[in-house]
Amino acid sequence: MADIKIVNLHKEFGAGADKVVALDDVNLELGGHVFVSVVGASGCGKSTLLNILSGIETPTNGQVTITQEGGPARAGYVFQSARLLPWRTVMDNLLFVQEDRSEPTRQRCQRYLDMVQLGDKGKKFPGELSGGMQQRVGIARAFSTEPDVLFMDEPFSHLDAITARSLRAELHHMWQETGKTVVFVTHDVSEAVELSNRILVFAKGGRLAEDIPMDLPFPRESADPDVALAKAEVFRTFERIGALTVR
Amino acid sequence: MLFRALKGPLSGRLTFPLVCLGVWLLTIELVASIWPFAVDVLPTPWQVAGFMWDEITGNTLAPHNVYQTFWISLQRLGAGMLIAMVVGGVVGLAMGLSKSVNAFFNDWVVAILAMPNLAWALFCSLAFGFGDTGPIIAVVLTGVPYVIINVREGVRNAPSDLYDMARAFGVPRERAIRHVLIPSLMPFLFAAGRYAFALGWKGLVVAEVFGGQDGAGWTIKFWYDAHRAYGVIGYALLFVIFALFFEKFLFDKLSRRIFRWRPEASVAEEAFDQPPAVTTEPQRTPQHG
Ligand SMILES: Nc1ncnc2c1ncn2[C@@H]1O[C@H](COP(=O)(O)OP(=O)(O)OP(=O)(O)O)[C@@H](O)[C@H]1O
Ligand SMILES: [Mg+2]
Repeated sequence: MADIKIVNLHKEFGAGADKVVALDDVNLELGGHVFVSVVGASGCGKSTLLNILSGIETPTNGQVTITQEGGPARAGYVFQSARLLPWRTVMDNLLFVQEDRSEPTRQRCQRYLDMVQLGDKGKKFPGELSGGMQQRVGIARAFSTEPDVLFMDEPFSHLDAITARSLRAELHHMWQETGKTVVFVTHDVSEAVELSNRILVFAKGGRLAEDIPMDLPFPRESADPDVALAKAEVFRTFERIGALTVR
Repeated sequence: MLFRALKGPLSGRLTFPLVCLGVWLLTIELVASIWPFAVDVLPTPWQVAGFMWDEITGNTLAPHNVYQTFWISLQRLGAGMLIAMVVGGVVGLAMGLSKSVNAFFNDWVVAILAMPNLAWALFCSLAFGFGDTGPIIAVVLTGVPYVIINVREGVRNAPSDLYDMARAFGVPRERAIRHVLIPSLMPFLFAAGRYAFALGWKGLVVAEVFGGQDGAGWTIKFWYDAHRAYGVIGYALLFVIFALFFEKFLFDKLSRRIFRWRPEASVAEEAFDQPPAVTTEPQRTPQHG
């Protein structure tokens, strides 16, 4: 189980008149078996937060540490767009991020391709797949390394409702089974409430506005009155801090 | 019926050589009627065709037959292209990565690009005398700016989102170079290779005219010295056929193989029937986020 500690995190892009503050003095501790959803309006720094956590971007100020019992934490990332190597087949895209290319590794990759219902597409090139299929390959890739920390940036937003639903169930199942740390960016309040045990609401300017614990028992059916209540609660918080954008 | 057939792409292609042939014959008639002695300098298509047939069947007056000659030239072209690719690759990489290196080389590249082939050929034969060196250097100098410009463009268009992906997954550096950097440079290298081949080939022939003792260019000169106009034209046509053969069979096959991952339409775009554009954009799915 990984522990994520964020201290005085500040990130800005550009300088002078073009300066954009993407994250403004964020302090946060994510320990233990946590599934945290990050919600907020477009442009409030959600992707930037994941990029800093995953080491793609460096903070302007402050520190981020990810610690893991017995060795460095291994991370997986589902990007907002698929980010596949167009010149490698689907299977080779998965193998690209693995530690080795042994037979068990291949079998594991195949298993995760099956999970996203693309088991028969291993030999295809990404250009031969639809956008939603590519996104699913991206999901399989992140799962297939069986990482300690999983960063997901609106992974299901391009998918049809039924596929999204089944992948949400897979994700939840995996999280419960393996005790991973999941940081999950979404625009979808229902999704956030049904999956996470913590919801972070970001406001414009990259400020962490609200940190809402979600302690309802799983599984959370949307018909369940407690779940509906929790959703309404989160929506009210959104309205209060003006984080909600109409989509 | 005939009219409709004329509109098809194949008949369109066939019309062109037929029109050329007609113009050729008419010109001979016309010039010969004004100045009868010109018949010696203006070969008929049949003369040229006969010459080409003799060459192809190995029946020649020149010291080497056409196959030996093209093999000699091809080896020079290959050596020159290899050097151009390596040197151009290194310089282009450095220019793409560093603004100051780019500033240092940029004017040189433009200058080499602007220099006519003939100047290289004359210079090389003066500097290196007769032999292989002059023609090879001429190929290098003709091809190298295209390689440099293409590789630089490839590096500038590097897919940073894919590098970021590799970094986020902790992929080792060598693997990222092999599976991200090199494939992303391939379309640019390939375009560079194509231009280096097509232009280097021309540069080579000019250089062989002045600084060779054998090879395709030298042999054209041989027929020129022998006052055989049909030989000059016939050899030039063989030369064109040879280059087209390479273009169609080698580069097309190679392109199809290397860019298997591309959607069908853009493979056809690679065909070399446009003016030398500097780059060929690699086809990637647009990335954002
Ligand atoms: N590489 C960059 N260069 C300059 N500005 C950037 C860069 N990346 C992000 N930004 C800016 O930082 C702010 C936060 O961007 P970010 O991508 O984190 O938003 P987001 O919350 O993920 O939005 P969305 O929901 O639309 O994906 C935006 O104003 C954006 O313009
Ligand atoms: Mg984003």
